[in-house]
Amino acid sequence: MTTLTLKLQPKAPLEGEAITPDNFLGKPAAAIAGLPAMHGNEPALLGDFFQVDGDGSEEIVLVGDLRRVKSIAAGMTRGTVIIQGDAGMHLGAGMRGGEIKVYGNAGDWTGAELAGGKIYIRGNAGHGLGGAYRGSRRGMNRGLIIVDGNAGNEVGAVMRRGVIAVAGNAGDFTGAFMIAGSLIVFGQMGIRAGAGLLRGSIVSLKPAELLPTYRYACTCRPDFLNLIYQKLKREGMSIPDGCATGAYKRYSGDFNRSGKGEILIYDQR
Amino acid sequence: MQFDNVVCAFCGCDCDDISVTVENGRITQARNACVLGKTWFLSHSAPAHLPVARIEGKTASLEQGIEAAARYLAQSRYPLIYGLSSTSCEAQRKSVELAEVLGGCIDCCTSVCHGPSGMALQGVGEPTCTLGEVKNRADLVIYWGSNPAESHPRHMTRYAVTPKGMFVPEGRKGRTVVLVDVRRTPSARTADIFLQIRPGKDFEALWALQALANGRELDKAGAAEIGLTLEQLNDLADRMMHCKFGVLFVGQGLTQTRGKHFNTSAAFLLVRALNRHAKFALMPMRGHGNVAGVDNVLAWQTGYPFGVNFSMGYPRFNPGEYTVVDVLSRGEADAALIVASDPAASLPGKAARRLAEIPTITLDAHESETTKIAKVAFATATAGIHAEGTVYRMDNIPIRLRKVLPSNYPSDEEVLSLLLARVKELKAC
Ligand code: SF4
Repeated sequence: MTTLTLKLQPKAPLEGEAITPDNFLGKPAAAIAGLPAMHGNEPALLGDFFQVDGDGSEEIVLVGDLRRVKSIAAGMTRGTVIIQGDAGMHLGAGMRGGEIKVYGNAGDWTGAELAGGKIYIRGNAGHGLGGAYRGSRRGMNRGLIIVDGNAGNEVGAVMRRGVIAVAGNAGDFTGAFMIAGSLIVFGQMGIRAGAGLLRGSIVSLKPAELLPTYRYACTCRPDFLNLIYQKLKREGMSIPDGCATGAYKRYSGDFNRSGKGEILIYDQR
Repeated sequence: MQFDNVVCAFCGCDCDDISVTVENGRITQARNACVLGKTWFLSHSAPAHLPVARIEGKTASLEQGIEAAARYLAQSRYPLIYGLSSTSCEAQRKSVELAEVLGGCIDCCTSVCHGPSGMALQGVGEPTCTLGEVKNRADLVIYWGSNPAESHPRHMTRYAVTPKGMFVPEGRKGRTVVLVDVRRTPSARTADIFLQIRPGKDFEALWALQALANGRELDKAGAAEIGLTLEQLNDLADRMMHCKFGVLFVGQGLTQTRGKHFNTSAAFLLVRALNRHAKFALMPMRGHGNVAGVDNVLAWQTGYPFGVNFSMGYPRFNPGEYTVVDVLSRGEADAALIVASDPAASLPGKAARRLAEIPTITLDAHESETTKIAKVAFATATAGIHAEGTVYRMDNIPIRLRKVLPSNYPSDEEVLSLLLARVKELKAC
C-alpha cells in the first residue's frame, strides 16, 4: 500500500494524472515523491505537496482535502485507489480498469469517458459524471459508477455502455444524448432527463417530468433491473425495498432520435 | 469635418454606414447610428481625464504601469485574461500570445453570453449564413429569446426585416417575422407573430418543433406545458418547413437560461431537421461589437473559441473548468488581466469579489467598477474612434474600423505589446 497524505494545500490547481497504480507500481516512496505534477503553470513534484509512504504496491490511499487536485487516477488500468477526503475534477476520467473508492465528494467530470473499472463515491458527485468532454462523440463506454449521495447535471451524457447508479438526486439532462447503457437514479431527476436518448435505459424511482418527445408504452417488471440491483447490492449499495420486484411505467423515446430508448419510472402504487 | 462609412463597433451589428461629424476634436454627430451607437460615438469621444496608467489608484507613467503589471502577471501561477469583446482583433491576438507565454487561462464574454452556442456548435455543427444572405433571401425571420429593438436597434432595419433584397424585392412585406420570448418586448411590435412561451421552456419548445419537423405528432398536454396551443406550434412548424429561406436568430434568452448549451443544441438540431424541408440557417445575436472576433481569433490560434487554458504549455478547452466564472469563484485565479470589459459589475458576486482580492489589471477607455478595484489600470484609446483595427460582425464577416479622432492614449494593442515584451523578459530569467 502506498499512502499519500496532503501536507500542503496547492494554491492553484494541481494536475494529479501521475497518481495511478500503474505509475506507482514497483516504485519506492522516494521515486513516487519525485513524480512530476503541474501546479498551475509551474512544474512541481508530488513530494512538494504529499507526504509519501509505502512500497509501490497496486493499492494507493490518498488522504486530505484534494478538491484542488485534478485528474487523480485518470486513465488507470489496474489496482485500487482509495480517497479519504474530497477529490477534484476528472477523477478516474478515461479509466480502463481497477477500482476507485471515495470517502467524500468527487468533483465534476468524475469518470468521464470511463472505459472500464469501478468508481464508488460515498458522498456527492459533481456535473458530467460518467459523461463526455465537449465535442466528444462518446461518454462512458464500459464500467460501473455508484454514487451514494447526489450527482450534478448531465450524468451519463452521451454514455455508450456501462452502468451508473445514483442513490440520491440527479441534476438536469440526466442521460442526455445517451447512446446505450443503464442509468439508475433512486432520487429525483432534474428536468429534461433523456433528451436526445438514442437507446439505453434510464430508471428513476421517483416521478419525473418528461419531454414532449416521450410516449407512455406499458407498465412492466423488467428482469434485467433485478439483475442490476443484485449486482449493485453486491457492490455495497443499499437498494430501497420493493424496487427490485415492483412495476415500472415504460416511456419510449426520444422520438427526435430513434425512439428506441426507454425511461422506466417506478410505479409507486 | 465629416467622415462617411464609419463603423459603429458598439453592438454585434457593426453598422458600417455611419457618417460622423468631428468639430473641435470631438464627435458632434453620428448620422445613421441608432441611439446606442450615437451614445457610443459621443461619449467615447469626450475628452478623458484619466491618467494613462494608475497603480493602486495613484497616477503613474505608462512605463511604470507596464513594469508593475508585468511583474504581477509573471509571478502568477494561474493568471486569467478576460474581456476582449470590445477591442480589436489585433489586441485579441496579443492577448492570446500573452496567455500562452503566461501559461494562464484566456476567456471572453462569450463564456457568459453565447458560449453555449459555441459548445452546441461543436456538438452538432452550425448551419449558418451571413447577414447579406438574410437580407437578400430570407422570407421567414424568427427571433428567439432576443429583443433586437432594444439590444441591436438596427438589426431589423438594416439586415433582417425591412431592407429590400434580391429575392425579397418587397422588403418588409415579403417577409414573415416571428418573435418567441417569455415576455412581450418592444420587438413584438415589428413581429407578425408573437409567441409567448413559459419561462424555462425554451428547450421543450424547440424540441417539440423539431419533433414536428421530423414528422412526429404531439399531444395537447405537451404544447400546454410550453405555454402554447398545439395549433400555434403546428402553425410555426408549418411556416418553418414551407418557407423559401428561413433564419433563426437566437439571443441570450435562450443561451443564458437553464439548460444553456443544450438549449442552443436544440436550436441547431431543429435547424438541421428543417433543412430537409427548406433552406434554413441559425445565427446567434452576438452582443458586443467584436465578441465574434474573439471567438475567431481564439479559434484560429488555439483551436477553441473560449475558455482556453495554457497551464500545460498547450491549449486545453473545457467550459466549466477554464471559464471566467468558474476560475474566479473557485478561487483558482491569482491574477487577472481584464481588457475592455467590466466583470466586477457584471459577474456573479463570488467571482466579482475574487477580482478584488487578487492583483487585477485593466485596460479600458473609461472608469468602471473593475478599474476601481484594479491594482494597475491603463486608460486606452477606443478601437473604432481613436484607433484602427479589425472586428468581426455577428455573422463572422471581418470589418475594418477607422480612426476618426487623434488620441493621447495608446491603443489596447500597444499596451498589450509592451506588456507582452516585458513579461517575456521576466519569464526568461
Ligand atoms: S445597431 Fe449596433 S452597430 Fe448599428 S449603430 Fe446601433 S449600436 Fe451601432
